[in-house]
Amino acid sequence: MASGVGEQAHGSVASQFYSNEEETAVDMTTSEKVVDLLNQAALISTEEKLIVLKQVQELIINKDPSLLDNFLDEIIAFQTDKSIEVRKFVIGFIEEACKRDSELLLRLIANLNMLMRDESVNVVKKAILTLTQLYKVALQVSLSVSDMQEACWDMMTQIKEDVLALLDSDNDGVRTHAIKFTESLIITLSPRTPDSDTPKKQEGDISLDKIPKDHTYIRYDTLCEEGKLALEQLLKFMVHPAISSINLTTALGSLATLARQRPMFMSEVVQAYETLHANLPPTLAKSQVSSVRKNLKLHLVSVLKHPSSVDFQGQISTLLLDLGMSQSEITRCTPATVQPRKRLHHEPYVEGKRIKMEASLVEDDEDKEEPAPVVTTKPSSSVGTQSAIDLTAEFLLPLLTPDNVANLVLISMVYLPEVMPASFQATYTPVESAGTDAQIKHLARLMATQMTGAGLGPGLELCKARDEEVKEEYGGAGESSSKDPLIIRKLSAVSLGQAISVVGAPAAYKSPITEEAPQIKKFPEPILPTTQPKAPGASGRKKVFKLADVVQPFSEAQIEKLTNMAIKRILQSEKVIAQSGMSHVRVKLLARLVTQFEGGKKNDLLQFILEDMRGRSELAFSLLYHEYNEYLSQQPPSSLDSYEHCLYTLLSGLQEKPEQRDGLFTKLVLEAPVITDSALEVIQRYCEDESRVYLGMSTLKELILKRPSRQYQYLNVLLNLSSHEKEKVRSTALSFIKRMYEKEHLKDCIEKFALTYMQFLVHPNPPSLLFGAGEDTEVAAPWTEETVRQCLYLYLSLLPLNHRLVHELAAVYTEAIADIKRSVLRVIEQPIRGMGMSSPDLLLLVENCPKGAETLVTRCLHILTDKVPPSPELVERVRDLYHKRVPDVRFLIPVINGLEKNEVIQALPKLIKLNPIVVKEVFNRLLGTQHSNTCLFSCASTNLCFGEKNVYTSEVLAVVMQQLMEQTPLPILLMRTVIQSLTMYPRLAGFVMNVLARLILKQVWKYPKVWEGFVKCCQRTKPQSYNVLLQLPPPQLASVFERCPEMREPLLQHVHSFTPHQQAHIPVSIMAVLEANSRKPEPEPQPELHHPEIIEEREVCCNETEAWTDLLFCFAMYIRV
Amino acid sequence: MPAHPLRVAVVCSSNQNRSMEAHNILSKRGFDVRSFGTGTHVKLPGPAPDKPNIFDFKTTYEQMYNDLVRKDKELYTQNGILHMLDRNKRIKTRPERFQSCKEQFDLVITCEERVYDQVLEDLNSREQESLQPVHVINVDIQDNHEEATLGAFLICELCQCIQHTDDMENEMDELLQEFEEKSHRPFLHTVCFY
Repeated sequence: MASGVGEQAHGSVASQFYSNEEETAVDMTTSEKVVDLLNQAALISTEEKLIVLKQVQELIINKDPSLLDNFLDEIIAFQTDKSIEVRKFVIGFIEEACKRDSELLLRLIANLNMLMRDESVNVVKKAILTLTQLYKVALQVSLSVSDMQEACWDMMTQIKEDVLALLDSDNDGVRTHAIKFTESLIITLSPRTPDSDTPKKQEGDISLDKIPKDHTYIRYDTLCEEGKLALEQLLKFMVHPAISSINLTTALGSLATLARQRPMFMSEVVQAYETLHANLPPTLAKSQVSSVRKNLKLHLVSVLKHPSSVDFQGQISTLLLDLGMSQSEITRCTPATVQPRKRLHHEPYVEGKRIKMEASLVEDDEDKEEPAPVVTTKPSSSVGTQSAIDLTAEFLLPLLTPDNVANLVLISMVYLPEVMPASFQATYTPVESAGTDAQIKHLARLMATQMTGAGLGPGLELCKARDEEVKEEYGGAGESSSKDPLIIRKLSAVSLGQAISVVGAPAAYKSPITEEAPQIKKFPEPILPTTQPKAPGASGRKKVFKLADVVQPFSEAQIEKLTNMAIKRILQSEKVIAQSGMSHVRVKLLARLVTQFEGGKKNDLLQFILEDMRGRSELAFSLLYHEYNEYLSQQPPSSLDSYEHCLYTLLSGLQEKPEQRDGLFTKLVLEAPVITDSALEVIQRYCEDESRVYLGMSTLKELILKRPSRQYQYLNVLLNLSSHEKEKVRSTALSFIKRMYEKEHLKDCIEKFALTYMQFLVHPNPPSLLFGAGEDTEVAAPWTEETVRQCLYLYLSLLPLNHRLVHELAAVYTEAIADIKRSVLRVIEQPIRGMGMSSPDLLLLVENCPKGAETLVTRCLHILTDKVPPSPELVERVRDLYHKRVPDVRFLIPVINGLEKNEVIQALPKLIKLNPIVVKEVFNRLLGTQHSNTCLFSCASTNLCFGEKNVYTSEVLAVVMQQLMEQTPLPILLMRTVIQSLTMYPRLAGFVMNVLARLILKQVWKYPKVWEGFVKCCQRTKPQSYNVLLQLPPPQLASVFERCPEMREPLLQHVHSFTPHQQAHIPVSIMAVLEANSRKPEPEPQPELHHPEIIEEREVCCNETEAWTDLLFCFAMYIRV
Repeated sequence: MPAHPLRVAVVCSSNQNRSMEAHNILSKRGFDVRSFGTGTHVKLPGPAPDKPNIFDFKTTYEQMYNDLVRKDKELYTQNGILHMLDRNKRIKTRPERFQSCKEQFDLVITCEERVYDQVLEDLNSREQESLQPVHVINVDIQDNHEEATLGAFLICELCQCIQHTDDMENEMDELLQEFEEKSHRPFLHTVCFY
């Protein structure tokens, strides 16, 4: 944990807590407070939880550490918390706790180990950071506390190995943290020397030099070896060709830290810098190269500033010059004291080094008695690593003749990449001193570096040979564990002169046996071998080639069998994987695998998906996308077959499944990258299925609207369905098309289709297109009602939306044969009614009435006026048509009640000559207007008809009255007819009384106008009407007296004339009305005052309307007679 | 996405124009942001290119403002310096020097290569302790008002993208590559440790 941040956090949390304390719980003990806080923490949100837990940490670590032990378990329990931040807190707590009381590590190490394996990388990273700190604590504790269990240390060692292994992690950040851990580990596991540049805060940190040689289980030499191994791993990691820029940057920094804090590694560090500079990873982008070079420069300068860099100043300044630093700047950064020595090694690399090495060896001898003997390893190791390169360079130098160099250049031309790598571009500086001795030497050295890196060259072989010797000696020395290992090192250094270092040679020529031998003998830990195989396999470039040599390719059959088995296993592991929450990986894996193979596996997988399409839809989609991807990645893009097959199989599978209510089909169609023709067929089949027609067409609609590139193709499918033989399919399709017809861009296409279909009607026979695809139909089949309708469905449903289309119909109609005409007339009712008589296009049609379309126009007129009276416009058009173009009286029938009286009278003779059925219709139309509210034909006058007494006998009138009375609602002219009849035939009075009595049963007072007539009639027919009046309910009777007060007295008299027995039958309420002289019963608020006026008015306007009613009666009578 | 908001530092030379513009935008977008300069002094344009106004980092924006008003109100109104100072004093009291700040950040964004170098040098010269990583990214921005505004938006977009990564450290490399392509400018990027 960041101790800086940590302290800040503590400060703020503490203050927060203490203020709380003052407010709330003054007398609580710290322990109680902790309990309280922990109880809270269990229940609250993550953010609050963190605050509370930090308070607890403050309390038990800083305020009262005696509590730490008590509450440790409670806090650690949060390590399984769902929140990453809480788990990170636990790690931080462990760190703080162990720093406070290092013995706690004994208990907490296992938890740390668990957290190291957390699923969240952020937790893992935090754990690595903490381990970086705690490794030192563990080592310290193991030394100082005698009863520290060995197991704990073993575990720490194990964890350390695990962290080192994370250098190979997939996660960049984890690797970065692992590098920093490695850096710290190397520093801990190597001795501090007087020239170590140790940060102040780490002054007290433990390092190898503080480890006693006689500890029971902490073995000095083991640790030393582990440190060296770690360095080796770090160096190996750095030369990985695909290292990320951040990892590389981190590693560069770590090396600089190592060089300054452990100058004994200066040689390896400089060597690694050199190698890196010459071999920047090819994967780096241009800006990354600049970043890395900037870092390299920075770190080289910081290394250069260290006094121990003296032996490497030559190399470092060459590198810095290459990196674009000026000589003066370099000089400024070089430690002043060693300036004279620098020049010595600068110029002649190889020889200079030798001399210097000998010099340092002499120094080493002098240092022997000094307490820090490790210094000796520094020169010796540098001797070791450099010598291999030096030897090879020396070997190369005489070979670099102009001829050889020219040949080398020519040969290597072949291997040049096509594009200049960013790293080369950045590092390239023109050779100024070509051909000079110094430049040739420089070249030789550069080549030697590369060759050594690649494991080639005589220098390397020589070193290897010497390494063997070292091993033998070292092995011999290793027998006695008490022996100071440094002596061995020195021995080897001395005896080899410039041989390889044991401390940490570059990976290339390091023999693992050197370390292994003694380790296996003395310390058979199970942990160490795990790193062994990792170390060579980790990241070396050579290894790739070796692997290819070793591995034998499988035979085709074997591959086939193995893949089949593997896929099968993945398929079958559905549930298990789902439980582990990794099903997305499985899905991806399956899809990717299967798309790479042909044939059988694909079908197997498809079948597998279809077995439970709902549960495996994710797999289905994944597979589909992969197939499409595969298609896209083909160069040049070839066939969609494989994708099509996949989509087709899935869709048909869904289509054939009986129960499939969820929108999987829709989803599949809409999310498929491309809808192929065969898929479209399946969609069509789906739409034709009556139980799914709606879903199918909704899907189709979505396709049309959302896939504009092929929308016409999709639209066509829908349009074809609009004439489908199944009613449900057809009507659904029509309703969808109607909705789509509103879209401007689809309008034309739909219209064209509808008109094309309608045009079929002019053909002598229906086109085979109209019959289902598979049906074998003779081409010469005659038109049937059904086929005619098929051609018209779409058109007719569009008609109300676009009235203009009506003219097309007229055009087709005139050309069509009679059978078709009849069918057309039958089917147009709905749409024409939908258009309404105000439609300008319909009016235009009536006006123009193309020749041959008269019947059509008449039909239209009838449909339009069937339920409503004709509009003046329509009447006008028809009149024009009738007078100017087609004098056919039948045109007039539909608009007859819109015509002037004289017109009607003129037409009447012609009309009456028509077929009686037609005449009846005319009558119905005229009567129909009586029911409407628009006319005032309520005051009937039947003078015209009634004058013809010979026709209208009393019998006829009685029948008419009877019929009128049976209508509901009561016709307004009823009473007028009754009164007129009565006037003509007074002997009908008895019949009329019956009528009146019947009208009371029909509650005649509910029809104000009829009621008015009723009262009038009663008035005229008194005294016969008295008995009728007495049948009225009291309020109505009162209403009668309202209108005719003079009736009351006679009626009362009439009642008084009854026998007492008869009188007893008169209800008291009626009597009350009759006798109510003073207290007038209040009738319902009828606008009685207006009645006279209204009646007046009607009398006035009767002149006009009378004609109508007369006419009506003419017809009525005519028909009945 | 990291659970806590990114702790961001924006650094330019004088903590006046580029870093403040970015500071302004980033804080409006909810970032935990601070801004700094790396220079030894705060320099503002003066009456001539060779006569800059030089202040130390202790001077508040307010004082600078008043000083410039006193010197030549019209000139400094015209070149936008007063406006800038006015904006700055609303954000914080005075410029801050990066090298004097011990707070830890997740992300340090510098506005020119020289500043980037100075930040790196400073961070590397500190004693490592917690080993908490800090990513340093350089976005080259010319030191004028327009470029500062454009640059600030670029920085803001960058920060938002980084904030939204699931695993910042793992995705940073790729993200920056994408940004380089998109904005057609190279970003220097490195990681340091506290």
